[in-house]
Amino acid sequence: MVSYKYRDKGTAIYRLHPWCKLAWIASVFVLALLFNNPLYLLLFFLSTLPLVLAAKVGREWASLLKFFLFLCLLIIVINALVSNRGSHVLYQASFAIPIMGTPKITLEAILCGVGNSLRLLAIISAFTILMFTIHPDDLMLAMIKARLPYKSVLVTSLSTRFVPALIDDAQCITDVQKCRGLEFEKGGRIQKAKNYMAIGIPLLSNSLDRAVQVAEAMESRAFGSGQNRTFYKELKISRFDAITLACALLPCVVGIAMRCLGQGVYEYYPVLQRISFSHREAIMLIGLVLLLNGLFILAPLKRKVDLD
Amino acid sequence: MIKINNLTFHYSDTDKPALRNINLEIQDGEFVLITGPSGGGKSSLCRCLNGLIPHFYGGEITGKVEVENLDVVEHSTRELATKVGMVFQDPENQLVAMDVDREIAFGLENLGFPRELMVKRIEEALDTVGIAGLRHRAITELSGGEKQRVAIASVLALYPNILVLDEPTSELDPKGAEEVLNVIERLNDELGITVILVEHRLDRVVQHIDRMVVLDDGVIMADGVSRAIISDSKVVRSGVGMPPVIKLIQGLKEKGIKIDNTPLTVKEGRAALAKVFQRRVIARHFPSRRCKAQSAEAIPAQPLIEVKGLWHAYPNGFVALKNINLKVCEGEFVAVMGRNGSGKTTLVKHFNGLLKPTKGSVLVNGINTGETTISKLAKKVGYVFQNPNDHLFADTVEEEIAFTLRNLGFSTTEMKSLIDQVLERFGLMPYRHRYPRSISGGEKQRVALASILVAQPKIIILDEPTRGMEYKLKAELMRFLDEYRKDGKAVILVTQDVETVAEYGDRVIMLSEGKIIVDGSKREVLSQALLFSPQINRLAQSLKSHGVPSDILTADEALTALT
Repeated sequence: MVSYKYRDKGTAIYRLHPWCKLAWIASVFVLALLFNNPLYLLLFFLSTLPLVLAAKVGREWASLLKFFLFLCLLIIVINALVSNRGSHVLYQASFAIPIMGTPKITLEAILCGVGNSLRLLAIISAFTILMFTIHPDDLMLAMIKARLPYKSVLVTSLSTRFVPALIDDAQCITDVQKCRGLEFEKGGRIQKAKNYMAIGIPLLSNSLDRAVQVAEAMESRAFGSGQNRTFYKELKISRFDAITLACALLPCVVGIAMRCLGQGVYEYYPVLQRISFSHREAIMLIGLVLLLNGLFILAPLKRKVDLD
Repeated sequence: MIKINNLTFHYSDTDKPALRNINLEIQDGEFVLITGPSGGGKSSLCRCLNGLIPHFYGGEITGKVEVENLDVVEHSTRELATKVGMVFQDPENQLVAMDVDREIAFGLENLGFPRELMVKRIEEALDTVGIAGLRHRAITELSGGEKQRVAIASVLALYPNILVLDEPTSELDPKGAEEVLNVIERLNDELGITVILVEHRLDRVVQHIDRMVVLDDGVIMADGVSRAIISDSKVVRSGVGMPPVIKLIQGLKEKGIKIDNTPLTVKEGRAALAKVFQRRVIARHFPSRRCKAQSAEAIPAQPLIEVKGLWHAYPNGFVALKNINLKVCEGEFVAVMGRNGSGKTTLVKHFNGLLKPTKGSVLVNGINTGETTISKLAKKVGYVFQNPNDHLFADTVEEEIAFTLRNLGFSTTEMKSLIDQVLERFGLMPYRHRYPRSISGGEKQRVALASILVAQPKIIILDEPTRGMEYKLKAELMRFLDEYRKDGKAVILVTQDVETVAEYGDRVIMLSEGKIIVDGSKREVLSQALLFSPQINRLAQSLKSHGVPSDILTADEALTALT
């Protein structure tokens, strides 16, 4: 079992300022949406790996990716079934489905699904840095600094805070009902749904009880007083952090420029486009990838700079 | 200072008042214990003191509650936060941050304290409850006792004059409870903070408190210094769980033995009894009246559970059980004891197949648990979890109980008679059509138990069923189990509650670090043990030189032996 709880593993990536990591994640996100060239997307995905490895969150990353790979498979299959475009027909059905016509599976449709999956994987891979290396309370502070309303941010952070408790609770209730002889996989579909009610209802009621208790405790500690709220922890940005932040945002800027120059656009239909580069594009792409890895290089330096 | 005048309070959804005509005045620096049966209004009274009633809960309030000269009806809970610190029952559900220091900061942040002051207050609060070493730890990694101390620190940081604690130890193991109670005593003793504590473990606090208030059915039944309250027969009859030493002394007094003073603790009891013995020299009568071990009868040959060379390792590599060998037979009442993390729960989860052996084998009624399913075993083995809320989900009590039977494949005619029987036996007839989650705590526990026992399993396992339970409910539960066992069934109890085992158990298995360190009758295991011996045994041991048998465990045994 991999735990999805935040746990400081003390690597340099954890020490990076949360703003820098958020900026880097935003960059990957924007880049993945800007381009649709599968080679670009593959490189973006690969560029997230050094940070994941350096942060030592590989196990968590792998278990999350496993889940999303399954989702990717679904994307590919559905795209292949639904999309009728493309000229290399691999399979042609002999029957017709109303509205959809005669289904056919083309090489282009499959590869288009693969390309989109790469995009999803790059984004998810970057988000593992957010999930596992940014302290949830720091994330909350960053959100508040970004002018999001405090109460909404707190509610979000509280709901993540209680996820582990919820998982334990669900596990315990499952055990309880199993001990009462419940077999979840028994019966028809309606019976199965009913079986799961035996977990759902206690879980929901327990969570509501919990919510009331938490609210009560917060109220007792002056939550929602009229005074302006202050914050114990601050997100101070040192000069080094500012530089790192700029470095994290740079790929995004470069990416936008490249997109404006018309690079990184790819056509799957009707026939797969050949991937070819001009000299200039190749150099720019290499530059972009290097910039994306800038955080990996800067992170270990932070401790040194902080000490000086 | 707290002044309560003619307070009556109704929750909005009930006709019966939760509190009636409460008059109470609490001086600064007092240590007040509030006790009484569950549903008596203890929690409601606590919530009146910081304005959660009426501001958070609503309902109808008459009379006046003044805390530090502030009327709680006119001042909100937030305003009162700097006057009254409130600590709740479940440590899990009152902490909102991820780290200890940020948790303590939460209240200060809400009140808009400047950062420099916060740093100072957090430092003080950490030191006051002795958790400075946990400062940067994640809350989720702490033990229950540590979490509860964080909760105390987090209200202390607001400098309240009054600390109200609503059953702060009921979710904790004995060690955690000890830590928390130590802190509370120190706060009152050294810092002069007024403490209002709701607590069932009288044996642990009775010597420290100044005053005891007994609430029953929403009214104050008794109020005064503890020595007076505990000898009040009205209180004793209401089912307040008196520590065994006090029970013994009361019993001796009723038999006409003169004991000066009213001893509260083992130490005081020892001194008082030693005096009695010097005066009366009745020691000579004792030795012949040794208590007989009850479980000496021959054990039937066919064991219900047979564990051979059992090892269990969790997927993360932690080895929780190491080479366990044991047998449990019909009619046995087995208590599985040991520290937290010693493998108690892991062991009993093997008895119904929730966990499978990594090595070795577990035979239940001759069936290897590794080769069958939980639902097949469920007919033979009932397992009751600690929190009845995890059991209940059906629309009516009757449905809840029928659910188990239906899962186990009983026929409709069988079901009807079984359900009627079990409802009758557990006194649940009046609740049969009620929604199980809306009935009181004690009744919920009974429904949960009934929903397991209805299938009449040969073996019943209970995991920490008495934790946080008041004395009366505990006694009731234990009587049920004892009856059940006498039908030729086996009862297995996971517990850390020494006094309960002393009174109702018969065999004790003590685990430590995944190994069985002792397995024997409760008399062998619990007497003359250092930490695991019940109060009366500790008392008896000091009177050994007077000829008192050193293996008596309970107040009743002591009474028969001494008189």
